[in-house]
Amino acid sequence: MERSFKAEVAKLRLGAGDTFTGEGILAVTKALLQSGVSYVGGYQGAPVSHLMDVLHDARGLLDELGVHFESCANEAGAAAMLGASINYPLRGAATWKSVVGTNVASDALSNLSSAGVVGGALIVLGEDYGEGASIIQERSHSFAQKSQLWLLDPRPNLPSIVRMVEKGFALSEASNTPVMLELRIRACHVYGSFETKDNVAPKHSRRNPVQKPAFSVDRIPLPPAIYAQEKHKIAVRLPEALKFIQREQLNEFFAGDLREIGIVLQGGMYNTTIRALQQLGLADAYGSSRIPLYVLNVTYPLVSEEITRFCSGKRAVLVVEEGQPAHIEEAINSILRRADINGPHVIGKDVLPVAGEYTGEVVLKGVGDFLKLIMPDGVDRKLVDAVLDGVGEAKRRAAELLGVPVPTRPPGFCVGCPERPVFSALKLIEQELGGIHISSDIGCHTFSTLPPFSLGNTVLGYGLSLAAASAVGPNFGKRVVTVMGDGGFWHQGLVTGVANAVFRNDDGVLVIMQNGYTSATGTQNIASSPDLRPEEGNPIAIEGTLRGLGVKWLERVYNYDVASVADALRRAMTAPEKGLKIIIADGECMLERTRRERPVTAQKLASGERVVRTRFGIDDDVCTGDRACIRLSGCPSLTIKDAPDPLRTEPVTTVDSGCVGCGLCGEAAHAAGLCPSFHRIEVIQNPTGWDRLVHGIRQGVIGMFGGAR
Amino acid sequence: MTRPITILVAALGGEGGGVLADWLIEAALHEGFPAQKTSIPGVSQRTGATTYYVEIFPEKGARPPVMALVPSPGGIDLMAASELVEAGRAMQNAFITPERTTLVASTHRVYATSEKMLPTDGRYDAEKILEAVPKVARKAVLCDMSRMARGAGTVINAVLFGAMAGSGALPLSREACEAAIRGAGKGAEASLRGFAAGYAQAASPLPAGERAGVRDDSAETPTPTHPPESRGSESERVRREFPEPLHALLEEAVARLVDYQDAAYADRYLDRVRGVLAVDREAGGEPGGWPLTREAARLLALWMSYEDVIRVADLKTRASRFARVRQEAAAKDGQIVVVTDYLKPSANEIADILPPAWAERLRKKAGPGRAVKLPTSSVAGFLALRLLAALKPLRRKSARFIEEQALIERWLGAIKRLGFAALDAELSLEIVQCARLVRGYGETWRKSRAAFVRILDELVENEQAVSKGADALKAVIRSARNAALAYEEAKPAPAAKGMPVIWMKQG
Repeated sequence: MERSFKAEVAKLRLGAGDTFTGEGILAVTKALLQSGVSYVGGYQGAPVSHLMDVLHDARGLLDELGVHFESCANEAGAAAMLGASINYPLRGAATWKSVVGTNVASDALSNLSSAGVVGGALIVLGEDYGEGASIIQERSHSFAQKSQLWLLDPRPNLPSIVRMVEKGFALSEASNTPVMLELRIRACHVYGSFETKDNVAPKHSRRNPVQKPAFSVDRIPLPPAIYAQEKHKIAVRLPEALKFIQREQLNEFFAGDLREIGIVLQGGMYNTTIRALQQLGLADAYGSSRIPLYVLNVTYPLVSEEITRFCSGKRAVLVVEEGQPAHIEEAINSILRRADINGPHVIGKDVLPVAGEYTGEVVLKGVGDFLKLIMPDGVDRKLVDAVLDGVGEAKRRAAELLGVPVPTRPPGFCVGCPERPVFSALKLIEQELGGIHISSDIGCHTFSTLPPFSLGNTVLGYGLSLAAASAVGPNFGKRVVTVMGDGGFWHQGLVTGVANAVFRNDDGVLVIMQNGYTSATGTQNIASSPDLRPEEGNPIAIEGTLRGLGVKWLERVYNYDVASVADALRRAMTAPEKGLKIIIADGECMLERTRRERPVTAQKLASGERVVRTRFGIDDDVCTGDRACIRLSGCPSLTIKDAPDPLRTEPVTTVDSGCVGCGLCGEAAHAAGLCPSFHRIEVIQNPTGWDRLVHGIRQGVIGMFGGAR
Repeated sequence: MTRPITILVAALGGEGGGVLADWLIEAALHEGFPAQKTSIPGVSQRTGATTYYVEIFPEKGARPPVMALVPSPGGIDLMAASELVEAGRAMQNAFITPERTTLVASTHRVYATSEKMLPTDGRYDAEKILEAVPKVARKAVLCDMSRMARGAGTVINAVLFGAMAGSGALPLSREACEAAIRGAGKGAEASLRGFAAGYAQAASPLPAGERAGVRDDSAETPTPTHPPESRGSESERVRREFPEPLHALLEEAVARLVDYQDAAYADRYLDRVRGVLAVDREAGGEPGGWPLTREAARLLALWMSYEDVIRVADLKTRASRFARVRQEAAAKDGQIVVVTDYLKPSANEIADILPPAWAERLRKKAGPGRAVKLPTSSVAGFLALRLLAALKPLRRKSARFIEEQALIERWLGAIKRLGFAALDAELSLEIVQCARLVRGYGETWRKSRAAFVRILDELVENEQAVSKGADALKAVIRSARNAALAYEEAKPAPAAKGMPVIWMKQG
């Protein structure tokens, strides 16, 4: 695991009247325990990884309460786990990154929502949308609509978030429907506080198990139950939900004196909208707005009565709805038309962008343009113009002063990453054999698609790279290379990819990056992680699994040995026999390895034991600056500096102090026959007597020959 | 009306930006002010640009204010950047504006991949950012925080925090900030040292008229190349026969060539430079400081000291090299440094130092070369390299020496011939510049040198190309040279129409 969550676990124990301070996603975790959940599961992924990580470290507390916690195989598994709430009054929660996780979970989600639940079921979605996102940009909202799952989008402050978690369970039970709670990235990481309640031990749990099975064919997805289930959603569950939402006032109305206009907004957009109003002189620091606001903490279903009440008598209403299609805006238009309220102009994606994140700048401009369009009485038009123009002017000026935009700096492989050398080898093989089609997967290794590698033609989903190569393979003039991480392998690559390819005897090359963890999500453990503790699970080896499936062509390589990785790739690409050829590329995640080794090394150093520190170097008088090494590895530690040689006007390459001594640069220089500048430097700390003796002799001889000049 | 103080921190992964945001929150709570922070750390990787956004409401009271989760352009009070280009990015996004923003930024550079991978100099001109700062920021604190952090034995976030506190833009006392650092426990002493350094720097900015410069973070120790005492009688010849503006350059060059081969070789160099100087003089190069001669002399010196295995072995066994390695590795007294060189001499490289007849035979059989990890700091490894280096006197008879001299003469001949014919210094300079292609090792060198020869064959020495006139010739030579310098693989793939580039941050 990336880090220890001891301090956070302590916060989960806070009781009535205490104050919790911390991140939004941890507030959700605490709220789950306050709601009396019987079970929690999910699949890790930014920005909800910490929910899982903290519970993983909170086993003691969970045992006391009797709460079952599991890291599920994937999001489909997590959604299926919620099936426990179909028949039994067990409250349960699942979490994952959306929209991708929701996609994976969709089969189980549809069945779950059709059958309905008796125990409250809450799905916490980390809405990975906008800046910092690492996935395709789509809305979870559409899922809620098509399956009739209720969608909560609370105002991004801790008390609101916690309240919506608690109310979410009650809503789920009142309407027999699973509920989704979406939190954007920044809301997950927002730091704030709320007053806690005591944790609630669930009625039924490991400590007090359900004794009798509940059976009802009405909950099975077979005809005729399926028809009844669909009708039940509309005839019973939806009205119950609407009643609950109104009764409990889940949505919020904020009055303002500019009554001829109003803003309808998603809860998650509240703070950004208030900031825009503050900038335009229409709200104070405490959020008091002159424009009336209707805040949708529940974005699906919408309450028609509330909408008609808010919009009636207004000249214009602005809808601040992030993402597309504009489900809310369209629904509001439709609700007003049906209610025969034709007065208010409903303005949304006219002044706000249809697609993309609603950042501070975007919302400011949208609200400003709305005001300019409607020109309500009591708004300082000049101030609006000045604020909007100011931002544009600042950008124009900066662009003019800088001339050229600054270089972008996307994330990439860490220093010492064990996956980088595999792509160095792949690049060499590509130079040798000509262009190769590479089917890529989700994981740190997706960074291979960025410079300097630019390797990887498609990404179709987590663990789907081999399946994504199945139709390219037979239609492509050369063997296709598929890359998959061990995370993706266990997520679904094993069945969807490998088993099927073996079964069909597909021809191709599969490289499995075995770094030991789901590294990109925060190095969580998986079945094949090294050093699993017994309580974490039974270890399963990837190699054994593959052999068990009947994979014949299987090689294991040590990643940092670029030449031998390249050799293995070459053999796989040119082997005469058909079938799947798998290379397991072995190399533990460097972040995790360093984290484990650092304290051990510090301990040894302190106690005077011999410790060798390794790093690499480049002779700056041998380097001619052709940068072939950087294009072949892209290590962040491999950088450039002014040439010390006054005759060289272009920079030379150098290794900076961040080097962890993985050796890739040297091995790549060897494998590609680059330049002779690279060298390994071993610093022997606390040398032994023998070390000193050998060193003395060496120094003597070298001195004699005048390491002279 | 009180409004929140807005603070945006731009950092690179692994620099402790998250910890800095924590400190800010703790210090604000210490003062009794409501505060909020958010971030987009997203992926775990320790690279890439990232930001942390903090708001502090500088008023004690029970009513909670509404604070934003996203920074607004034109709405930032304190912009902190742990690296210079990140400050430029903030400028580009209008997070630095003259009405409000105090900028606190480190002036060191950490280069982006796109800046590093080009075979030429792809570095962003960060001077532009420094020049823009006084025009866009209300106030600025600029200093090399990377160096200060190293000096204090800590991470850059502590220095940045100190400079932010010292800038006066935070509504927090120094005591509150230091208490926040102490409260975080681990490494607090080192962090406090860094904080103090940053604070002092911000509190006493540079004297008026002075301005911080961009600093290349990795160029800590420029090694002196050739000490003055190694420049003998050749140096006198330089002063006697060449115009003053060229002396420093030529002295550096002759010292290098004496070191590389011998005095006679340096003499040959000066003879060659004289030929170019003649063209330069005809073309009226004197007022401009002899640009043609200067560039030709520079490239010629590098070319004439081409890196064969003899040279590499020599450079790798110098006492100064062992000292440099020790320093780079930050080895302390009493620690032993072991150096292992990664060499891969192929038959081609061996053939290069053999007489032509032998070389030809060997090259026919040339394979991919043999990877050697040579323990240079061991007796055997060192002596092996010394032995190679000792072949220096035989270099004149070697195949590559003869080939390089021939190609140099072709190049010089073209410079002179076309230079005199056209009396166009720019044309000559284009041809001179082509020698930038002759560098590198192994396959990279072979490809690049082949491109150079192609330019000579097809353009410079091709009557048809020459007959099209100096201007046309200049243009084609330049474009051929630039194409060869931007290796195929270094070129970015063309983006599909309207396709966004993934992960690239706004602006």
